[in-house]
Amino acid sequence: MSAVSRIPQYTAQWTRPVLQIAKYTLHEAVRRRFMNVILLFGIVVIASSSMFAAWAPGAELKMIVDTGLGAIRIFGLLMAVFLGAILIPTEIEKKTIHVLLAKPVSRMQFLLGKFLGAYLTVLLNIVLMGLAFLAVMYLKRSAFAGEKAMAFLYPNLAAALVLMMFELLVLTGIAITVSTIASWVFTAVFSFFVYFAAQLRTTLGHLAEPGHYDNPISQGILSVLHVVLPHFEDFDVRQKIIGGEPVLANYVGMCILGALLYTGILLLLGYFVFHEREV
Amino acid sequence: MASAIRTRGLTKIYRGVVGPAVEALVDLNLDVREGTIFGLVGPNGSGKTTTLKLLLGLIFPTRGSMQALGDEVGSARYRSRVGFLPDGPYFYDHLNADELLHFYGGIFGLRGAELRRRVDELLELVDMAAPDRRRRRVREYSKGMIQRIGVAQAMINDPDLVYFDEPTSGLDPQGSLQMREIILRLRRQGKTVFLCSHLLAEVERICDDVTILNEGHTVRQGSLAELLEGEGLFSVEARQVDEACLAQVRDLAQSVQATDGSVEVVVADEPRALRIADLIRQSGGKVTVIGKRRRSLEDVFIESIEEAQ
Repeated sequence: MSAVSRIPQYTAQWTRPVLQIAKYTLHEAVRRRFMNVILLFGIVVIASSSMFAAWAPGAELKMIVDTGLGAIRIFGLLMAVFLGAILIPTEIEKKTIHVLLAKPVSRMQFLLGKFLGAYLTVLLNIVLMGLAFLAVMYLKRSAFAGEKAMAFLYPNLAAALVLMMFELLVLTGIAITVSTIASWVFTAVFSFFVYFAAQLRTTLGHLAEPGHYDNPISQGILSVLHVVLPHFEDFDVRQKIIGGEPVLANYVGMCILGALLYTGILLLLGYFVFHEREV
Repeated sequence: MASAIRTRGLTKIYRGVVGPAVEALVDLNLDVREGTIFGLVGPNGSGKTTTLKLLLGLIFPTRGSMQALGDEVGSARYRSRVGFLPDGPYFYDHLNADELLHFYGGIFGLRGAELRRRVDELLELVDMAAPDRRRRRVREYSKGMIQRIGVAQAMINDPDLVYFDEPTSGLDPQGSLQMREIILRLRRQGKTVFLCSHLLAEVERICDDVTILNEGHTVRQGSLAELLEGEGLFSVEARQVDEACLAQVRDLAQSVQATDGSVEVVVADEPRALRIADLIRQSGGKVTVIGKRRRSLEDVFIESIEEAQ
């Protein structure tokens, strides 16, 4: 058998532990009480968005879209950060990692398995909250008749949910990567910091331009943050949805590509740190 | 006999950011023969767990070399041929015994009927096959049940080399006996067992070769028979020995231990042992045992640690 013909067999062998770890991580994560509580809160907020809409006559659609997508983003963020932050430190603290790494599981396979398991859990919850949100939209559809936003509403909502999934992919990657060297508390705080700082990325870029700061160190830090922080602003298309502008497929595609690249680099960094770590 | 594990100058030094460096293991040379049971013993902090972690690739040596089963330690091929039961094992507690073994079996690529058969066999072996045991979540297990399931997961891949760290910890006497049977069965099957234990009587009962560690250093090493031989000493055991005779015996003996009417005398050579036996008989005492003195592993262990200190 030639080396080339062995590639599929080798790939299947290599991915087997990754998928096995991911499957059981998902199995464990969906049973975690805090995940269930976050999901429950998310669905309650989304369901009550139609109630909030009643307080803003003439702006019901904006209210429901803002509240619904905002809730999915915030609760998804909580899930991605907390789950990403606790998985690896818990394995190390409880020493379950010893049994696993004594088996034919490389550190890269372990890291990828945990990442994939965490992300699939987040994804599953996003889908559930997304369905709740679409149900609310469907039930209130008669109230939005004639609104400008209705032109592209459902494709735009689908695009918004897909973008959110990839935004949370990056965030899960950040949490998992940092957790390979830090405690879960530090990881969670750091991930939230990155998320909120990334929302101000454009502002940081403006501040880094000459003329704002005389101090070259401050300017340098702002420039680095502007370049390094993920482009989370690009993943928020609520204004386009409300304005009735179409969210174009190639825009979504570029965002997805960027998210995959960013996450890939993060996981590689995580691996370089983790493969030298003694457990 | 070929070596299943071979280490040369294996050393692990922990260097903290502050404080002095800690030598956890220094220049360990091991040759664990294939198909034998090897015992690594030592007090707490002697380097046993460090050795195990190094041999499993969980931590990395400061210097020295390791080879096991003809492969580099840490390679996927090596890890697919070993099993490991940690001390006080902790498993994913949301799973039951069945699910846990299916998870670990899946890592090795076992699936379908083959995996089910293997899981059934192992649960039977460790006495966890009853439905109420195999379907109960790990978080509801007693320490002994966790230990049993730990043994089963260590053997899921039918390994050639099995590392056991304190395997009888948490087991009742019947469980300990079963564990001993499992370990001896592995040797009969031609597998190599690497055993870390505080229970010296356990090690003495089943191990072929032993290494004693203290503060990271090797203080005694060899086959169990060699270690227990007692450097050519002889002993005489007797009863009904009167005080006058005992005084004469003390002049000839290296040590005399008298308890509850029986006396054990240790001497340097055979002629002296025979002379003492004659003295005892002449004074009306009864000689019950005379022969080469065989020490217990506990004696060797205490002696070695005291010498090292």
